[in-house]
Amino acid sequence: MSEGSNPGLGRRAAIGAIAAAGAGFALFGPRGAKEASGGRIVLDYWEKWTGHEGRAMQRIVDEFNSSQSRIFVRYLVTSGLDQKTLIAVAGGDPPDIVGLWNYNIPLYAETEAIIPLDEFDSSYGVRIENYAPAVRQLLTHPDRTGKQRLWATVNTCGTIAMYYNRSVFRDAGLDPDRPPRTIEELDAYAKSIERVSADGGIERVGFLHAEPGWWSWIWGYHFGGTLYDPETDRARADSAENIAAFEWLQSYPRRLGADALKKFRSGFGTAYSSPQNALLTGQVAMVPQGPWLANVIQTFSPGLDYGVAPFPVAEAVYREDEPVGLIDSDILVIPRGVKHPEASMEFIAYTQRPEVVEYLSTAHFKNSPLASPSREFIERHPNRGVRVHNAIAASPRGFVCPRTRVWPQLKDEFDASMQRMWGLARPAREELAAIQQRAQQYLDEAAEQRRRRGYG
Amino acid sequence: MNGRARTSWGRFGVHAVLILTAAAFLLPLVWMALTSTKTGSQAASGALQILPSPLSDAPAQTVENYRAVWTDPSVSFPLYLRNTLIVALLSVAGMVLSSAVVAYGFARIRWRGRGVMFAIVLATMMIPFPVIMGPLYIIFSKLGWIGSLKPLWVPAWFGGAFNIFLLRQFYMGIPRELDEAARIDGCSHWGTFWRVIVPLSRPALAVVALFHFIYVWNDFLAPLIFLTHRDQFTLALGLQLYQSKAGNTPWNLLMAASTMVIAPVFLLFLLAQRTFIGGVASEGVKG
Amino acid sequence: MTDRRENISGWIWISPWLVGFLAFMLAPAALSLYYSFTEYPLLEAPVWVGMENYGRMLRDEVFLTALRKTFIYGAISIPLSTALALVIAALLSAKIRGGRFYQAAVFLPTLVPMAASAMVWLWLFNGEYGLINRGLELIGIDGPNWLTSTRWVMTAIVIVSLWGVGQAVVVYYAAMKEVPDHLYEAASMDGMGPARRFWNVTLPMLSPVVLFNVVTLIIGAMQVFVIPYIITKATPGGDPRAMYFYTMYMYDNAFVYGKMGYASAMAWVQLLVTLVLTAMTFAVSRKAVYYRGG
Repeated sequence: MSEGSNPGLGRRAAIGAIAAAGAGFALFGPRGAKEASGGRIVLDYWEKWTGHEGRAMQRIVDEFNSSQSRIFVRYLVTSGLDQKTLIAVAGGDPPDIVGLWNYNIPLYAETEAIIPLDEFDSSYGVRIENYAPAVRQLLTHPDRTGKQRLWATVNTCGTIAMYYNRSVFRDAGLDPDRPPRTIEELDAYAKSIERVSADGGIERVGFLHAEPGWWSWIWGYHFGGTLYDPETDRARADSAENIAAFEWLQSYPRRLGADALKKFRSGFGTAYSSPQNALLTGQVAMVPQGPWLANVIQTFSPGLDYGVAPFPVAEAVYREDEPVGLIDSDILVIPRGVKHPEASMEFIAYTQRPEVVEYLSTAHFKNSPLASPSREFIERHPNRGVRVHNAIAASPRGFVCPRTRVWPQLKDEFDASMQRMWGLARPAREELAAIQQRAQQYLDEAAEQRRRRGYG
Repeated sequence: MNGRARTSWGRFGVHAVLILTAAAFLLPLVWMALTSTKTGSQAASGALQILPSPLSDAPAQTVENYRAVWTDPSVSFPLYLRNTLIVALLSVAGMVLSSAVVAYGFARIRWRGRGVMFAIVLATMMIPFPVIMGPLYIIFSKLGWIGSLKPLWVPAWFGGAFNIFLLRQFYMGIPRELDEAARIDGCSHWGTFWRVIVPLSRPALAVVALFHFIYVWNDFLAPLIFLTHRDQFTLALGLQLYQSKAGNTPWNLLMAASTMVIAPVFLLFLLAQRTFIGGVASEGVKG
Repeated sequence: MTDRRENISGWIWISPWLVGFLAFMLAPAALSLYYSFTEYPLLEAPVWVGMENYGRMLRDEVFLTALRKTFIYGAISIPLSTALALVIAALLSAKIRGGRFYQAAVFLPTLVPMAASAMVWLWLFNGEYGLINRGLELIGIDGPNWLTSTRWVMTAIVIVSLWGVGQAVVVYYAAMKEVPDHLYEAASMDGMGPARRFWNVTLPMLSPVVLFNVVTLIIGAMQVFVIPYIITKATPGGDPRAMYFYTMYMYDNAFVYGKMGYASAMAWVQLLVTLVLTAMTFAVSRKAVYYRGG
């Protein structure tokens, strides 16, 4: 290290200049957008959406900001939103409004880290009755005393249906106006769509559980099962329905070959929002998806002839008027410890006006979370499947993810588990037995936590 | 010296292997830079294209890519650059100053307990950051620092074990007669430190400053845990936000963003290559 | 200049470090020890549960898998990167022209921020457009989906870790230059070729430096986080546990699942494992390491 004296002056000058430029930028560079608030209450609203979806939400925020002169909301997109929120809330510096996922509610509700919305004046007009019946279960959870409270409003809601490529149906000699209704029909359709080349390479399939693979855990519900019984606080992962469902899942890699499938799937993009989306290219004819897929179709393949139907169920479970499907939703909550809770509530109430809800749902191509969507909403909706999605939201058999604080962790386990089953690493029965044990262990731990703290 | 290649064939072989090795190590960075000059569809096209085509469009496309990243409305790179620089400057200043002072205490003052305390300094180097990150976050939140940049730079003002060690070793190599003469002339420890030790240890201080700068610039885990507000993100965190925001950021833009994050480090390396390599070599060999 | 005054001065001069050590090292470590005996969901106060968290680890399959994966990662990447670094350093010390350039090329990647490095490797390993699979295609190999395939993910992460051997190369190269010439000359007179000289002279002389470096690598391997974390987050639809290392599970427990108590227990186990592995490395190498002049 004796060269301190010999690096040329030029170099030292250059390093000095860089340091000076850096210091200058640090001192005089751009600042965070503390937009001129003119004495208004500034609220930070954390959200996950960017791009098209983000612009629609930003517009609502802008309209709210110009609709009154007391409150100014800043729309801030954040990555890793659930982790950032947990850290900020526990750290005593929460955002004023957060757009979380509905599965976050149990943990925050049980620890009362968010403010129950029924604590606010009823004149805000935020009432549980406003929402479609199946959506209501997403927003409520018992508080510490065991009383059901309303913790959140729905920002947008999407039910999961089956999107299918009608051209592929026709090509395979199937009637595009008669999509499969039962698992048995789905299998038959899938088999007649499958095309395998002479050398064994898969060229086209009807259906794959792993495409897009976002809901690793839902299959049992389509066989009449459930994963969790909130009454008894028992996990139900190893029920007969779940075993049947996941054995059905494994029948696909068994028939087509786990390695051949891997190879086939590596041929199309992992990014669903791209022209390589397997439904758009016709490589997979039927996929379980949410209404947002219509946006992808419109962007990358506007001419695609697609249909939307409820995802099939086991024959014994089928009922025409009561479709089965997952209801997923983004929610808005107010963390405890915010400085202006009523201002946060005022913004939330604004987002729940029917015309605002319908504007955002339309812009996101999603169905409406409201109990009675307007006629115009349905008629003008850009997603041709909106009726199907709405019917699932209104169906008594629309289901939601297990309402327990351990679900986020359990879902990670399920995702890993599904990969193992899909790769035929382990029979479904064994895998489910393992996950059942794990799930019950998590649930028991959570129950023990509540008991220790003396909650109802 | 060791295996000086005697034959020209041997030399040729060594060169060939080293050229291949260097190419393999540089390839990811070269590919990153090349990708950042292409259009989105070229970057993700079916055929392997090494250079952007047509080549004449590349400069305009490059400017366009970097401009798109720099001005992206949902991810504010200029702001993240500023945050990173603030943290880096405050942190480097604190680290150099405090480590230099503490190292002086260990190298030049004889006091009871010195050996034990220095052993503790060395021992703390063994404690992985993840071990303390959880409670550290809780301490910062009790101090009301969550939601500010403080967790990232204030601790640097209390010195770093490795840097203290490094500087102490360097001070030990400075002849004691020099500061004893200063002491006889009536200098206090403070005077000796500033007039004798600091001027003589500039190269070592430069190593500490450079390496700490790189450390701060590169740090991901601490900002991930301690920063909550998007307005306060550093570049490393902003880069991840940029990648994750839509799920499918175009590769050419993502590589442009990565190039932007790497470029300052690269520039510093070009200018101070010897300090870097000399610093690493002396750390490793003396350690 | 009494001893007493020097004693006080000493403590004053090191006080910045002492305060920082107490506040940002000892206090969190002590808190973490306390939390490790509690159930602490972050959003509520901790509740004492005794040894429960430690007991749970033994039954926790995710924990055991993450620990095993981390060991496997270390067991593959540490020897490979050490060997690679030694070979490159030996080639560099052949005293050829352009040595500085080669050294710089190998060292440069170690300065790349991990977040950026993760982005670059995401791109290189991309199953469809990635340079690596395209390169493989040219020689007729159909490359795997590196980052979503459970089977290939470890290989990918190890390759990324090898990209960072530059630091070790620089250290080994510097250490090789300090090996006295006369040892090589004596070895040559004994009729040893370059390979045997490397094995019989260079390696023993380098062993303390290698040992130090291996210990650093062990500590680092137990902490591997940033690159697998970013890559996992960036590949939705993949297996979220495919490259789930120890620190990732600890991080998730602390900051996502709301199990700070469990995470703290994991932190202490991590510290103990690190210490044990380091001690073992020293014990094993006692015979192998050659310390010049004691």
